[in-house]
Amino acid sequence: MTSGRLLAIVLALLVLEGADAPRSSEVSAFARDGRVYVSCTFAASTLDELGEAIHAGLTTSITYDVDLRRPLWWFTRTLASSAVVASVRHDTLTGRYQLTRTIDGRNEDSLVTDDQNAVKKFLTTFARLPLFSSAELEANVEYTVRLRVRTRPRVRWFLWPWESSTAAGTARFTFIP
Amino acid sequence: MAAAGRTHTSLRVTVTPASPPAQPVRRRPLRDNPWLVLLGIAGLIALLAGTMTLANRSSRLTPDFLSEFVLYALSVVDLTMLVALGFVLARSVIKLLVERRRALPFARFRAKLVTVLLAMTLVPAVLVLLVGSELIKNNVDRWFTAQMDETLASAQRIASDYYHERQRQVSDEAARVARSLASLDLTRPDVGPVRDVVAPVVNDQRAGLIEVYRLPRGKEPAGTLVAVVDVASPTMPIGAIRLSSDRLAMRATSDQPDSWLREPLESGGELIRAASPVRRPDGAVSGVVVASVHLTGDMAVRARRITKAYESYSQLRVLKQPLTGVYLSFFLMVTLMILVGATWMGLYLAKRITRPVHALAAAAREIGAGHFEHRVERETADEFGALVDAFNSMADELAANRRRLERSTVDLEQKHTEVEKRRRFTEAILERVATGVVTIDEAGFITTINPAALRLLGLGASVVGQAAAVVFNEPDLQPLAVFAQPRGIDAKDPPAQELSLTRDGREVALAVASTRLHSDDGGSDGRVLVVDDITPLIRAQKVAAWREVARRLAHEIKNPLTPIQLCAQRLQRQFSTAPGHVKALVDECTTTIVGEVESLKSLVDEFSQFARMPAPRRESTDVHELLRRVLVLYDGLFEHVRLETLFAVDLPRVRLDPDQIRRVIINLVDNAIEAINQQGQVVVETQHDPGTSLVRIVLADDGPGIAPADREKLFMPYYSTKKRGSGLGLAIVRRVVAEHDGTIEVGENQPRGTRFTIELPCEPEGPIVTGAA
Repeated sequence: MTSGRLLAIVLALLVLEGADAPRSSEVSAFARDGRVYVSCTFAASTLDELGEAIHAGLTTSITYDVDLRRPLWWFTRTLASSAVVASVRHDTLTGRYQLTRTIDGRNEDSLVTDDQNAVKKFLTTFARLPLFSSAELEANVEYTVRLRVRTRPRVRWFLWPWESSTAAGTARFTFIP
Repeated sequence: MAAAGRTHTSLRVTVTPASPPAQPVRRRPLRDNPWLVLLGIAGLIALLAGTMTLANRSSRLTPDFLSEFVLYALSVVDLTMLVALGFVLARSVIKLLVERRRALPFARFRAKLVTVLLAMTLVPAVLVLLVGSELIKNNVDRWFTAQMDETLASAQRIASDYYHERQRQVSDEAARVARSLASLDLTRPDVGPVRDVVAPVVNDQRAGLIEVYRLPRGKEPAGTLVAVVDVASPTMPIGAIRLSSDRLAMRATSDQPDSWLREPLESGGELIRAASPVRRPDGAVSGVVVASVHLTGDMAVRARRITKAYESYSQLRVLKQPLTGVYLSFFLMVTLMILVGATWMGLYLAKRITRPVHALAAAAREIGAGHFEHRVERETADEFGALVDAFNSMADELAANRRRLERSTVDLEQKHTEVEKRRRFTEAILERVATGVVTIDEAGFITTINPAALRLLGLGASVVGQAAAVVFNEPDLQPLAVFAQPRGIDAKDPPAQELSLTRDGREVALAVASTRLHSDDGGSDGRVLVVDDITPLIRAQKVAAWREVARRLAHEIKNPLTPIQLCAQRLQRQFSTAPGHVKALVDECTTTIVGEVESLKSLVDEFSQFARMPAPRRESTDVHELLRRVLVLYDGLFEHVRLETLFAVDLPRVRLDPDQIRRVIINLVDNAIEAINQQGQVVVETQHDPGTSLVRIVLADDGPGIAPADREKLFMPYYSTKKRGSGLGLAIVRRVVAEHDGTIEVGENQPRGTRFTIELPCEPEGPIVTGAA
């Protein structure tokens, strides 16, 4: 095998790694009472891949990177960003799940349950989370909320070290004070 | 050559002039700094050692850490290596293409060296990578076996079932006690009935601890529970946490499904607690029962260990791919490091090897272009250093030879210039000299002949290259044929000879001498014929002889003339009284005697004058003015004679004796008028020849002319074509002209008549006389 051929194989692997397109997720947003509320429903099928990791006792987290953006001609300016992290730790001895949700590092919610449906819902869904302030928004202007989802741990071998989004979605809303 | 004494291993070779002028010292490239190279190698070794250490310790790291951070770091390093390798390879390929396009030397050699080194490294490295990867995969697969899965799963299931059993048991007891307390009023101060219900459960060890709470009443704070009674088994650890049971009890009142908890204790054991609401018959909650069982420390630890082992195993299986990737990345990183190192080393070695040779080639081209001061800097003491020394020595020798050659060239050029100067000098002499010079090569061919020789011998310039024997075979040149005959090297030169040739009807006396030209090797390079016109010399000799004759004749004749004249006059006086016929006879005779004596005296005076010609008193003279003053004497004297003048423009002045030259002109004009029998045309013409710096005075008549055979005799003393004349006129004329360093020639005038030409040297850079016709 020549070095050129080896290089071609490595490049092909990189391309395949990068070709893993993110799945879509349902995102909605609206502004009220000085806050921008964001809701998201992430494709639960992703948890099937993470199920083994969860039941192996690994702390598994799903990170939602949410950006509030404003379209500006051909460009989009990011006004604010927020990170919602939902994590789960399974106690294999008792069979119970300890769930935690943080927003920008602040503990927002926690739950201990042995109900897998509740776990799935907790991890893949959050509703009406007040992630941004609407004080700086201009009236009657359309804004975009972009959401990208990352999961931990990564259960595949990756040659490309930089993490790509597992899923992504956007929502538009017009700010009406 | 500042670095000539360096002993380090760096092999930077630069081409620098060896001449003294200081040049800015070029900075050594980083890659040529041995310390930096050693530092780089040390860094590479350290990186390898770190990698090996990390690989050794990887078993102690958690799979999560390995799969996240270590794999991330390795992936970054791998990609960096890949980019570096790609960069190095792409750079090498591009450089190779550029160098090949520019036809730079050693481009192919470098490419081959790098390719060979890379191939030698690539094949084993990739083989090791492939085999190692397969081994890693197989080993990782062997971690997970069905037996191990079953064992760990069963153990974990047992531990989990035990926990669930205990949790169900304590939950059931809590529910049972809660149902038993449903009919009791928990708010009563007397808790005896409640204790009676609870105590048997504890005593029967169906639970280690039973705690009963009731809802607040009256002024008691809402949202809290009031402990009613708690009964604990003696086996329960002292100080069981009350807070967790309060929280669990509160959760039970809100009908939350999660109504039990596991609480680790400081002693190492655990409490499993379950809560159940107490409902009155009407369904309302009146209190909560919290039942707890104690799991001893050994039991809890074992269960935890089983669970931990199971989780670790499960995590390994879940993270099987990333963990395999970690070890594969290790291998890939080492492989890439080897490849990058091999490529870089190949390039480095190729450059180290080819650079001095390239520098030598470049220096050779410089020296070939004539830049002999270029040198190659010697920086190592190895074979390349010796090669550089030898090259520099050769360059020194070439430079020294070049300097010697340049000096020789300068000397040669100087000598050539001198020779050329001499040649031009000789040519100028030969061009101007009156002596004819003819060179004949060894084969008998004329190689050079100067204008004087051409003029004296009556030849054309075309004779150069012709055989001398043929040229001198002409009838009038026949006497010279003896000099044209080839002679042996040892043959003596023929003696100088005086020859007489006839040129334009004039007899020309020539002195011819032949001299052999000797070559450097002693051979013969031909001969040189020197031809001198000795006609003037012979003339002068004749004139001198005639002057001597005239002087003696005058002396011998003049002495008796006076007595003869006196005697004749005495006889005449004596016979004055004699008879008439006697007297007449005597008078006639004495008169004749006296007359003839007078004639003889006149003749003797002319002879004396010819013999005692005074030296000319020269002065700068306008020839035209002189001629006008002479010619004006003839105005109106001869009715049928036309005197015409053709004076040259810009005739220079001539230093001459005006009286003598005037007599010359008068003599010639008289002769011309007499020659045309006082009827015809006499032309006086002046010419200037700048090339010879001569002024010519030409007197031409249209008379009958003079036969060619008589022309030279005209200037001989006592030769005259006239019936009366001493024959000394033209002799004196020639003598006067000769005394003025000039010549006089007689020739045929066209269409008829005689033409006398006097040539006189003009003043050097003398003033110009504007002529007038």
